[in-house]
Amino acid sequence: MTPNAHRVVITGVGAISALGATPEALWEGLLAARSGVRRLPRFVDEGLSVTTGGEVEAVPHDRPDRDHLIAGHAMEQALAAAAWQPEEVGFVWATGLDTFQVCAEGLVLRSAGSCFNTLAAPFGRPRRMIATACASSTQAIGEAFRQIRDGRAEACLAGGSSVMLTPFYLLGFAGLQAIATDQEGDDPTAACRPFDRRRRGFALGDGAGALVLETLESAQRRGAPVLAEVLAFGVSQDAFDLNRPPEDGAGAEHCMRRALADGGLTPADIDAVNAHGTGTFVGDPAEAAALRRLFGDAWKRTPVSSAKGAIGHAMAAAGALEAIVAVQTCRTGLVPPTVNLRDPDEDCALDHVIGEPRQTDARSVMSISFGMGGQNAAVVFRRWID
Amino acid sequence: MPYLVAAAQQRDIQAVRAENPALWRQVRRFNLPVQLALAAGDVCAAQAADPSRLALISLTPCQSGSPDLFHWTHRLVASAHAGRIGTFRVNPTHTLHAVDNLALSALAIMHGLRDYGLGLGGAAGQAWNGLDVVLERLSGGHDAEVLLMAGDQQRSEGGDGLGLALLFAAEPRPYPPLNRPARLLAVERRRLDRPATPRPHAADGLAAFLATLEHHQGQHLAYTVPPEHGDGVDQVTVMMETL
Repeated sequence: MTPNAHRVVITGVGAISALGATPEALWEGLLAARSGVRRLPRFVDEGLSVTTGGEVEAVPHDRPDRDHLIAGHAMEQALAAAAWQPEEVGFVWATGLDTFQVCAEGLVLRSAGSCFNTLAAPFGRPRRMIATACASSTQAIGEAFRQIRDGRAEACLAGGSSVMLTPFYLLGFAGLQAIATDQEGDDPTAACRPFDRRRRGFALGDGAGALVLETLESAQRRGAPVLAEVLAFGVSQDAFDLNRPPEDGAGAEHCMRRALADGGLTPADIDAVNAHGTGTFVGDPAEAAALRRLFGDAWKRTPVSSAKGAIGHAMAAAGALEAIVAVQTCRTGLVPPTVNLRDPDEDCALDHVIGEPRQTDARSVMSISFGMGGQNAAVVFRRWID
Repeated sequence: MPYLVAAAQQRDIQAVRAENPALWRQVRRFNLPVQLALAAGDVCAAQAADPSRLALISLTPCQSGSPDLFHWTHRLVASAHAGRIGTFRVNPTHTLHAVDNLALSALAIMHGLRDYGLGLGGAAGQAWNGLDVVLERLSGGHDAEVLLMAGDQQRSEGGDGLGLALLFAAEPRPYPPLNRPARLLAVERRRLDRPATPRPHAADGLAAFLATLEHHQGQHLAYTVPPEHGDGVDQVTVMMETL
C-alpha cells in the first residue's frame, strides 16, 4: 500500500439469491445449512437434462426485464444501507453473459452490455463493466477498491448480477460437462456438492450482490456504519485452457499471492477463506491444491467454506454474494458450513466447515473466484473495530 | 506515463486464415469478433519487449454471438413452441460464443500471460475505460506494457467485423505511423447536457481515434469522442501528445 493510499471500507450491502431477497436471508440460510437449489418444474416439463437451479423466487422467471429487476433490487438495498444516491458514487459492475430468455413474448435476446448501460446511467464515475466470467464480481469489487484506495473515486457501488436459468445456459454448460445433470432418484437440493467425493458439477444460479465501498474518511464524515475494511486485491490468469484450470491450481495460487502482496500481508494473516468451490471434478481439487500450498501446514487450521452448494453458481453475481458472506464472517467470526459437503474428497483436503457453522475469531477473510477461461481474483476483508 | 507504441487492425478473417495458418488453427472455432481481436492482438503482442509480462485488457464484443448461435437460439424457440426442447443439444463451441472473456482467455493462453488481466464488458463506451486502465496500470508502475484489445461485428447473426489492438509501454518508443513517441496524457469526461444514444461498439471507437491520431500533425491532440462512440452519458476527450 502506498503512503498516500486511502483506507477503504464497506458501508452497505445488498443481496438477492436463491436463499432470499436480502443479505440477511443469504446469511441466515447459510448458517442454517439450507439449500436454495431446487427442482424447477418448467424445465422438467420441457424435458431438459438439467432441471435444478438456484433460482431467485422474488422476481418472476418469465419477466423479460428480469436481469434489470434482480440487479436493481440488490443495488437499491446497498445504496440505501450506506445512504448514498447513485449519482454520488461510481459503479463497477458485472452483468455477466448475454440474456437468452424465452418468455411469453418470445425470445428475449439482450446483451449484457445493454443491461449494464441501463443500470449504469444514473451513476457517477467511473462506470466500469467487468467481464471475467465467474470471477467478474470479485474483480469488480477489487477494481473499485483500487479506484478508491488510489484516490480516483470516493465511493463506488460494486458487484454483479446474473440471470442464468434459461434453457440455453443449462444445455450449454451441460455440453461443457461443468454442470450437475439430473440423475434418477437424486435430491435436487444437493445437486451441487462442493469438495465432496460425490460432486458432479455445479448448479446454475441467478441473483445479484452489491457492496458499497468508500474511503474511511468519507464513512466517518458521514457517520456511515462500517461493516468491514477491504485490505487487498489480486488477479492472475491461468494461461492454460478455456474449460479447466491446471491440476495444481498454479494460477489460483498466483492470484492469492498477488492479493497478499498487494496488502502487505502473509498467509498467516488470513483467518478463513470463502472458496470458489463450484463442485466440479477438476476445479475443486485444483483450488484445494492451491490453498494447501499457499498456507503450508496452516491449511489444516484455516477454515474454508463455499456458498455454491446453497445458492448455486450465480456466475457474474457469485463473487459479490460470496464477498457479502465473507464480510459477515469478519463481523461475527462465524464461518458458515459448505452446504451439501458431507464426505470430503481426499483430493480436496482442506479445513472444511461441515454440517454447521463454526465459531472462530476469524477477522481477516479472503474471498476467491476463478473464472472459466482462467481469470482469477481474490479480495481480502478485515473486521472493522472502531 | 503511457506511450502508444504499436497498433494493429484486422477486418478480413479469410486473409488471416490464408496468411497465418498457425494462428488460424488456434482461433478457428471462435466467433468472428473474437477471431479478429485475437488476430490483431497477436500482431501487437509480438511487438512487446517482454510478451510474457504483458498486462492484458480485453473488451467484450458489444455484438456477441455467432451465426451458429443465432440460428440455434431460433431453432430452440421454435422447438419450445412444439414442446421438443429436451431433445436439443448445444455444441460446446457455440456456448463459448456467448462467453464474455473468451478473447481475454484465448490470448492469455496463446502468449502465456499470467499476470494482470481485465475483461471490460460489451457495454457502449467501455473502450475509453480501457484507456483509463492503461493510464492506471502504467502510470502507477504496476506494469511495463499493456495490451488493449477489442473485436466486434455488425450483427450477432453475422456480417462484417473489426479486430483491433493497441500496445502501450511505460517507456517511450516511436509509434511507427508517426515515427515519434505518442503519449497518452488523460481521458477527460464531462456529463452531457442531454443523454445521447450510443451505438454499441467495442472496436469502432478506438479505430476512429487511431485514424485521427495517425493524421494529426501538431504536438497535442484533444480527440473528442463522437457521441455514438461514447456511453450516452459523458462527453469523452482523449488527450494525446506527440514528442
